[in-house]
Amino acid sequence: MNSSLSVGRQLVANGCITDNELNNALQHQQKWQSNSAKEHLVGRTLVEMGYITQSALLECLYQQFKLEREAYVVDSQAQPIIRLEQVVKILDGRRVLDAVDLSIPANRVTAIIGMSGGGKSVILKHMVGLMKPDQGTVWVGDQPLGKLSGRELTRIRNRFSLLFQGGALFDSLNVYDNVAFPLREKTKWTEIEIRSRVMQCLEEVNLVGMERKYPDELSGGMMKRAALARAMVTDPEIVLLDEPTAGLDPIIENAIHYLICDTFMRARYTMVLISHAVPEIFNWCHHVIVLHRGKVLFSGPSREVSASQDPVIQQFIRGEIDGPIQVI
Amino acid sequence: MIDFIQKLGFQTLDLIREVGRMFLFLMDVFFSMLTPPYRWNNFLKQIHFIGIRSLFVIALTAIFAGMVLALQGYYTLSRFGSEALLGPAVALSIIRELGPVLSGLMVTGRAGSALAAELGIMRIREQIDALDVMGISPLKYLVTPRVEAGLIVLPLLTLLFDVIGIWGGYLVAVRLLGMSGGTYFGGIESAVEMHDIVTGIIKSFCFGLIITWICTYKGYFARRGAEGVSHATTSAVVMSSVLILVCDYFITSILL
Repeated sequence: MNSSLSVGRQLVANGCITDNELNNALQHQQKWQSNSAKEHLVGRTLVEMGYITQSALLECLYQQFKLEREAYVVDSQAQPIIRLEQVVKILDGRRVLDAVDLSIPANRVTAIIGMSGGGKSVILKHMVGLMKPDQGTVWVGDQPLGKLSGRELTRIRNRFSLLFQGGALFDSLNVYDNVAFPLREKTKWTEIEIRSRVMQCLEEVNLVGMERKYPDELSGGMMKRAALARAMVTDPEIVLLDEPTAGLDPIIENAIHYLICDTFMRARYTMVLISHAVPEIFNWCHHVIVLHRGKVLFSGPSREVSASQDPVIQQFIRGEIDGPIQVI
Repeated sequence: MIDFIQKLGFQTLDLIREVGRMFLFLMDVFFSMLTPPYRWNNFLKQIHFIGIRSLFVIALTAIFAGMVLALQGYYTLSRFGSEALLGPAVALSIIRELGPVLSGLMVTGRAGSALAAELGIMRIREQIDALDVMGISPLKYLVTPRVEAGLIVLPLLTLLFDVIGIWGGYLVAVRLLGMSGGTYFGGIESAVEMHDIVTGIIKSFCFGLIITWICTYKGYFARRGAEGVSHATTSAVVMSSVLILVCDYFITSILL
């Protein structure tokens, strides 16, 4: 499967729609869309034209993602987009990260799993420079974060977006303004351009009609989706998601997973997500990193985690009380 | 004994570190005032929040402060047959001391506590981190407009306090106690000099800085959930209020 194909072409290749239907959809959307976004919304156009249902579209994209996931192998020659090298972090006298070495592959979905309080969020904050390691180096591409000036760090951060555990939506702004915020502050776009992009993102997360709601009027799932829309609005290169499904019911959790998959298939961001949804999360990512007691226990393709004979990993996947991890 | 000395040493070092951090924070704020982008909307919003919305409480405090000064002053001065000095006594007390100090304390209670709480909540809900990740300086976006607004608004509120306070004194002295209006205002005109007004403005400028600096600092670095925010808010109000009174003494002794 060629991952550089547009979503529309992939759908045709996968037999979800015909070539004719795709061409019709492309022609239809060319009438009202700029060239730069030409194929971006083709999925939605297909739905609007009745060629495919929304759920079938998501399922189709997931099936394509699944094929990619199963074919994924770690390429040791490829330069990782983010790399932690011997990173140590001590918080309140506790060694949260203990000489961590890990690499995040570019243009893949990577899940970081591990016990609560095991330093997963701390790793994410190191990746974006919100925390500085006590020892070791964090590399983004070939840039060491710790040695960058404020301006250079800002430039690096412009490549990222981070979905915080609680959403971190601004309480004083409604959903629309929250999503528009990064564009208003970081670009010179006109309000018309901003509106078009914001509405596109809100459509992608199914929040159209909720623009005027304030964060305290939203449910947990809506808040996560609004935060996801804000994370995507600047079209970042790397998206970090800190427990995007925590505290949500299984249906919303599944919907968020589909949404992440859909977002990945459309935009091909490098995505790093922290999750406790084990083992379901293995279906939604290419690469898995297991963190335990501040160290990386496993790093590799998601299909290989379940096969691991490591007793800690096995206990974690099965959620057993008995085992090397003593919690009671 | 050694434990006590050790503890004292640690606390002293912590205090020095905290003071150093506070001054570095202030330096960063001053630096960010000079660098673009300038967010006029944020600045105007803070002028409205700290200034306009404090008008009622300032007016109420001023009128009653002026009235009670006139009442107390009249009975004290009448013992010495010096009722004619009531106008200057009320005006000078308000312009040089009560105006800036009470305005500062009122703004601390009304707006300073809200500044600390708002930033504290933004901190614990990771909204400040979110700004950082977006490549927007939270200091420039959140703190600088608040400090700038405080610097501008406090002198204006103080001038308003002065006018309303003197008018409150007039109500009691002239309308209630039957003193002549000409005597009241004539005394003020001859006794109050430009130096007195400038002293009051300098003080209020310094208090504006103290309030916004301390309150934003405490909120910005709030930690450990709701309890942390409540602690940050309380310590911001207490520290600002105490510093206002301490600085008042030193500024008075320098400018007198």
